[in-house]
Amino acid sequence: MEEFTDKISLTVQKGKVDINSPYPPDMKGQPGADELTREALDAGVPANDILNNALIPAMAIVGGLFREKKLFVPQVLMSARAMSRAMVHLKPYFTSGEIKERGTFVVGTVAGDLHDIGKNLASMMIEGSGWRVVDLGVDVKSEKFIDAAREYPGCIVGMSALLTTTMESMEKAVKEMKTLLPAQRIIVGGAPLNAEFAARIGADLYAQTPQAAVSYLNSL
Amino acid sequence: MIYTPRERVLAAMNLQKPDRVPLMCQFSIGAMMQQLKPSPAEFWYDGEVFARGLVELRERFNFDGILVSLHGHSPDWKKDVLEIRDLEAGRQEVVFRDRTELHSWSDLPMVYQLEKRVPADISEINPEKDIPSVIDYIPVSAGLYFKIDQEHKFDIFSYLSEITGGKYSVHGEITSPFDYLLDLLGYEQGLISLIMDPDKCKVILEKFAAGIGDLAEEMCGCDIDAIKISSPFAGMGFISPEHYEEFVLPYERAIISRIRAKGKHVYIHTCGHIDDRLELMRDSGASGLECLDPAPVGNVDLKNAFERIGKSMFIKGNIDSVYSLLYADDAKAESDVLNIIETGRRGDGFILSTACSIAPMVTKERILMLSRLVSRAGIYLP
Repeated sequence: MEEFTDKISLTVQKGKVDINSPYPPDMKGQPGADELTREALDAGVPANDILNNALIPAMAIVGGLFREKKLFVPQVLMSARAMSRAMVHLKPYFTSGEIKERGTFVVGTVAGDLHDIGKNLASMMIEGSGWRVVDLGVDVKSEKFIDAAREYPGCIVGMSALLTTTMESMEKAVKEMKTLLPAQRIIVGGAPLNAEFAARIGADLYAQTPQAAVSYLNSL
Repeated sequence: MIYTPRERVLAAMNLQKPDRVPLMCQFSIGAMMQQLKPSPAEFWYDGEVFARGLVELRERFNFDGILVSLHGHSPDWKKDVLEIRDLEAGRQEVVFRDRTELHSWSDLPMVYQLEKRVPADISEINPEKDIPSVIDYIPVSAGLYFKIDQEHKFDIFSYLSEITGGKYSVHGEITSPFDYLLDLLGYEQGLISLIMDPDKCKVILEKFAAGIGDLAEEMCGCDIDAIKISSPFAGMGFISPEHYEEFVLPYERAIISRIRAKGKHVYIHTCGHIDDRLELMRDSGASGLECLDPAPVGNVDLKNAFERIGKSMFIKGNIDSVYSLLYADDAKAESDVLNIIETGRRGDGFILSTACSIAPMVTKERILMLSRLVSRAGIYLP
């Protein structure tokens, strides 16, 4: 069992998606997260163990290395892809209730901003830590965030902005949501932000890295 | 000796000290709109309206130079427009056959394509056929392009020269091949392609670099002092120094050497965290660096940057437009700017500027503060 989870964890950390993937070069021709997860389930490894002992710790390691600037976006994206491929095999276990999601995370890039890379990166890491992710896309207006928060009671909302110009949209979206739904928890992230700005606009957390968001969510 | 604004900027770019620290910030489109309140669609598309706006902003804020961030405006820009709807003050909808654009005073135009553009799949790209030899667009932001009219590529520079009499330092702008690559493939797939198909990426980058080099070389024939290379995705927030060395540096270096051969200055603008690659950026052969964002947007310490690269490059920066100009109180804003002037004037070549563009909602009083402070604290003693 442990052998399987260790191997799956390694494929996620190294971004080895499947046997045909040329990346990373030192794992060429070896099975990836796709094959190993299938194999582990066929061998009777509980889906819950794969999630909790392989995927979640692997993404935590990747997130930590990203925070320390030892890994960069291309490598993290590959890890996230490997994790997503493994998750495909686990989906039926979520549906059946054998694995419980930790909660729902609603995410979007704020109005006026069409950049999605930060949002996608955070989403993939959050999904990899056992949360259901509802992605509203880019250029998301305040009303859409509010509608989604109402549709998924108890969810946590994440807002992303890459541009200094769209920080103002973020402020508007957070304030409008907090006015209508005061208990709603909101995480904000994006290159031009800092903790002071997040506090000023009323967000609950400024996530400097995707891992910071994951840690916060898992602490709830 | 009193320098003209143009001489002041040129001296700094030549790593010399003029009479005082030159001041030259780049405005975001939103900041230009907020200050000028023009017809937003005309301001974006009409080269003369845009040029007059740039001159007006320079005059209002007493800058020593003008950055021309868009060029190649078509005099016939209205020919493909089906309708321009005035929605409210400062908001216009421009309808084309294939898209609708929302132009406003708040920021860059938002483009709504009728058919969603699907990024190219790298495996299906034939660089010879699919990558243009002649660069005819500027990838301004996600999903937003500015078409370069090949018949009027550099009209804006002639017009600016005519209306300013060459008194100010005018700089053109081009975009890094790395940006064109990411735009072509989509940011996410583009970054993944660096590790999944590096060789193909390099062929594509080489083709873009040749076309952008041609554009830059031709731009050097205009009455400009420098060209800025916009390279926003080449920082630590996206790629490692190793990837920078492999996928950014050789291609920017090729363009830079062509610009330098024409006797013009060239500087690189890379946003965010770049502290780990300052020496690599210097090795590009560029005359200067712009941005050098301080925390939280970046991680550059100006004094340290001067120590590391200041003997061979000028530095243009690095006021935090958001946390010093937009959100800080008067005392903090002034103190932040004075600290930067004090550090910068000790270096060899320094132009006072915001790190990234002036954010849209920065007030005119805050922008005016810059010329007041630089006149007071930026004087070089003979």
